[in-house]
Amino acid sequence: MRLLLVEDDAMIGAAAQEGLRREGHAVDWVTDGARAQAALANGVYDAMLLDLGLPKRDGLSVLRDVRGKGSDLPVIVITARDAVADRIAGLDAGADDYLVKPFDLDELAARLRAVARRRAGRAAAVLHVGDLELDTAARRARWKGREVALSAREFALVETLAERPGAYFSRAQLEDRLYGWGEEVGSNAVEVHIHALRRKLDPSVIRTVRGLGYSLAGE
Amino acid sequence: MTSIRRSLLVWLLSSVLAGGIGAAGVVFVQARIEVNDIFDYQLRQLALTLRDRTYFPNDFADSLTGEESLDVVIQVWAADGTLLYVSPANMVVPNAVQLGFGQVVASGGRWRTYATQQRGLTIQVAQPLAVRNRLAFTAAWRTLLPFVVALPLMGLLIWRLVGRELKPIETAAQAVARRSPQSLDAIETANVPVEIEPLVTALNGLLGRLSGALEHERQFIADAAHELRTPLTALRLQLQLAERARNDDERARSHAALREGIARAVRLVEQLLALARQDPDVPAEARAVDLAVAAHSAVDGHAASAEAHGLSLGVEAPAEPVVVNGDAASLRTLLDNLIDNAIRYTPSGRVDVRVLREDGRAILEVEDTGPGIAPSDRGRAFDRFYRAEGAPQGGSGLGLAIVRRIADKHGGSAELLDSRSGHGLRVRVSLPLAA
Repeated sequence: MRLLLVEDDAMIGAAAQEGLRREGHAVDWVTDGARAQAALANGVYDAMLLDLGLPKRDGLSVLRDVRGKGSDLPVIVITARDAVADRIAGLDAGADDYLVKPFDLDELAARLRAVARRRAGRAAAVLHVGDLELDTAARRARWKGREVALSAREFALVETLAERPGAYFSRAQLEDRLYGWGEEVGSNAVEVHIHALRRKLDPSVIRTVRGLGYSLAGE
Repeated sequence: MTSIRRSLLVWLLSSVLAGGIGAAGVVFVQARIEVNDIFDYQLRQLALTLRDRTYFPNDFADSLTGEESLDVVIQVWAADGTLLYVSPANMVVPNAVQLGFGQVVASGGRWRTYATQQRGLTIQVAQPLAVRNRLAFTAAWRTLLPFVVALPLMGLLIWRLVGRELKPIETAAQAVARRSPQSLDAIETANVPVEIEPLVTALNGLLGRLSGALEHERQFIADAAHELRTPLTALRLQLQLAERARNDDERARSHAALREGIARAVRLVEQLLALARQDPDVPAEARAVDLAVAAHSAVDGHAASAEAHGLSLGVEAPAEPVVVNGDAASLRTLLDNLIDNAIRYTPSGRVDVRVLREDGRAILEVEDTGPGIAPSDRGRAFDRFYRAEGAPQGGSGLGLAIVRRIADKHGGSAELLDSRSGHGLRVRVSLPLAA
């Protein structure tokens, strides 16, 4: 997933970004509300992690703005305030979920998967597409019942494709989902991952159509 | 425990009883005197009457009949001492020997006697003194009786009345008992009697101060809990990253971040404690402290840190001492915070510490060449946990709050000004000079 992390504390921001990257997510990190707004205007994100206590622009106002524009972007609010009233304010402003500091990296990842699933309209953590089975919680893939070892990037790539089987994703779209700002993207990085996936699963599992992009074969 | 009600009851009843007994005593003494006079008169009259009747010795015995009903013993002796007559028959009272009034001791106690002589016959009339005492005692007892009868009634009345009058104290006590650290409102003084009003007013004053102090503590703890979450969150994430490091390089980076996170958490806790120690309600200890010496020592302590940041740190103070009354440790904390802030916020340039006297006050200034604080933000900069926008990481947001509180405790003030060079911040602390 491509995530927008809005957190003003440098240590928390750096650690959360690093941790989520290792989970296979592309994470863009901004430190204030104004920059969050700018990033949302330009980028396509699968979810936003939003700290409420932000300089320049309060997190709640960023969130209201997002919802005001009709966006259904999944948003997890991060707050140091655990008073019920604060949580209610966050949820009422349009948050899908909230995390109270100090939170756990695993909990953060799990909640991210949960809001992503809800957005995709499914409740289970396991995706089935043909012979492919993706456990998005454990980040494990099975092909025809046999466990296949995938790298974090490979898993993120096939997960993106599996969310809409049969739909085509351009190379640029996939790069966007896999890499955050400032991350070195090799010119043929996506091709390399696609190649690896075909080798590990089945050559026919991912279709390539020049001009359209890549697609996961359905049934 | 002493009880006003009980001691009032005891003392009032005792006083009434003592008054009654005193009155009865007086009555007894007076009654005795009167009874004596009357009875003596009677005795004498009787004796003289007998003397006149016994003019004819032969029938004097007959002439005495009819006197036996009197509470007296009548005896007649012949000149040779033979007892000629006694009545009542079995009562013998010794001859008092003297004529007129006398007293003898005989069976049945002391007797009052009156004797007279007539033609060789001695006539003695005697009456037991106990009769007189009994009469006087009866008179005294009649005086005392109303008091004794009224005593239980008065006791009941006193108990009730005192209880009723003490009710407001009980009410006030209940009002105090209902107070808890959560509700320290003042106690209603409208129905409190003037005698205990000062107590209730003093209590209300205490409740007010207590409530303020508790509110202050509550706010501080709430703020502290909130602020501690940030470094703890960072530590938790950094630790998880370190645990999951896939290679030595990642592990080393995670450990470095973790160390930094711990340093920040430690600093925050230290600053929180420093602030908590500067209790605003406790006035500063008053010892003579030379600000110039304190400034030199603090600058010395920060020299290494300034050098590490590439800053030029200097101190400027008059040769003669600038003495203030205060707590040396607190003033050092104030200096440390100011210099530490200046070093932290100044990317390059210099930090100057200055001590001077001005208009009878001791002035301490710390000036830097950093970004400064916009005039509109300077009021809030002294608030707890306020952090300037774009402030470097790792600050606790407590430094200036600590500075202000220490200045307040010393009867001084702290303000933020533009640096003299026009670029940077100048913090100016003004303290009263020691007399």
